[in-house]
Amino acid sequence: MLKRVYLLVIIILIAQYSNAQGPVLDVGLRLQKAVNLYSENGFAVNYSSRTLMPDRLYFGFSYVTSRLGTAFNSNAIMQDNYLLSSAYYFKEKHVIRPFTRANVGYFSADYGDKIFDVLPRKSLLLSADAGLCFQTHSPLKISTSLGYNFITGNGLSGPGTLYPVFYQVTVSWNIFNRMK
Amino acid sequence: MKKALAIIIMFLFFAGCQKSPNISADILGGGQVFDPSLYNPQNFLVSLSNPNPTAEEAQKPVIIACHGYSATTFEWDEFNDWSQDQSKYSISRVLLAGHGSTYADFEKSTWHDWQLSIADEYNKLIEEGYKNIDFAASSTSCTLLLDMIHSGFFNHANTTVHIFLIDPIIIPSDKSLSLIGVFGPMLGYLKADNTTAENKYYYLFRPQETLQQLEQVLNTVRHELEDGIVLPNNVYLKVYKSKQDPTADPVSAVLIYNGVKTGNGNRIDIQLEDSKLHVFTRLRLRPNVTAQDKANQLNAFTDIATRIFN
Repeated sequence: MLKRVYLLVIIILIAQYSNAQGPVLDVGLRLQKAVNLYSENGFAVNYSSRTLMPDRLYFGFSYVTSRLGTAFNSNAIMQDNYLLSSAYYFKEKHVIRPFTRANVGYFSADYGDKIFDVLPRKSLLLSADAGLCFQTHSPLKISTSLGYNFITGNGLSGPGTLYPVFYQVTVSWNIFNRMK
Repeated sequence: MKKALAIIIMFLFFAGCQKSPNISADILGGGQVFDPSLYNPQNFLVSLSNPNPTAEEAQKPVIIACHGYSATTFEWDEFNDWSQDQSKYSISRVLLAGHGSTYADFEKSTWHDWQLSIADEYNKLIEEGYKNIDFAASSTSCTLLLDMIHSGFFNHANTTVHIFLIDPIIIPSDKSLSLIGVFGPMLGYLKADNTTAENKYYYLFRPQETLQQLEQVLNTVRHELEDGIVLPNNVYLKVYKSKQDPTADPVSAVLIYNGVKTGNGNRIDIQLEDSKLHVFTRLRLRPNVTAQDKANQLNAFTDIATRIFN
């Protein structure tokens, strides 16, 4: 365990002294809430390369789950969202940067009892969100956005707890960037 | 300039939205068609038809049948008709407040008013001496009853209260209901997908205020289920749920099953139906009723009529 911590510290230190124009790797926590349903929390990783529209085009992966939200210590349905995303950040070098993002992924819900195996509980995720990213000269970023799921449950098909509108806040740290 | 243009566009948009519908007189809500229980409540409510039961009558179970959002006592007519052959119990069909009347009445009713209609009939029957009172509820009435259980309404019942939930709603199938707080005031009302014949028994136009009330009670009970509802020892609960339901998402059954436990920690009874109907026990005025639909209805009626004696 201690070795892992040392390794992580070394990676962060190397990243701190790397080229400021280099790639960006934001790693952080994502807090998400579906409007009038569950809060689902997890993590997000976003990467921008130094060659392909650096610090503007980002590719990401995020995982949010109600297990770390509403379903924690409650009877709410445990559900997981795995998302791959592609985002474009406007206004480079600004403190407040608008961004827009397209997401595709996989949704899975655990209903807890075999009797409910006949009900739909898995789905493709297809969503878009747009919002603002607050970025100072430190590696810290705070982004918030409002999103829309194009695929939801409708009682006849699709998981019932897949809701259309969600909002999220992500607090991340660029581990490839040093303090300026 | 841009700001002024935006304000003008917004003004035109909001002004263009008709906040109240034009309701023709020949449908429910138009001011001429009413639920028959409003004219002759004694034909629908046992508390009025037989307010002084004999000792024998007082022991006979009374099933309070309560309908869903925007519906009327019509929703339980078939169970009432089917039960005419049974002399072992009686049925009291409750009309929820604001329902079966005018659009204006419906518009100003709250979910607490709807719930009070159910509680009132139960309390009257108790006061009159009835000993065995049970419930058959559909759709939103199920949600209202779950909230009553949660609030301890049945904690002091002297005999077992059997509660049967038909297609309960906790999660709506139409997920746009989750946004009614934002878009409702702009829209004013929503139009239901009723058949012409159904328009005499179900409101065609749903005021956004009542949709907000619906969303509010669904959220309230969902939170109660998340925290856990423990049935009092004298309450028996069974859920019947269509596997596909265009109104109450079937996942509602999962939330109830996971959220309600008996007093000794056991699961409640649940039965998933091979049906695509919302409130599968109401077949009258439905187009394309299948043999399976009829079998589901008969099985549910028989099951309810049997279980109230267990």
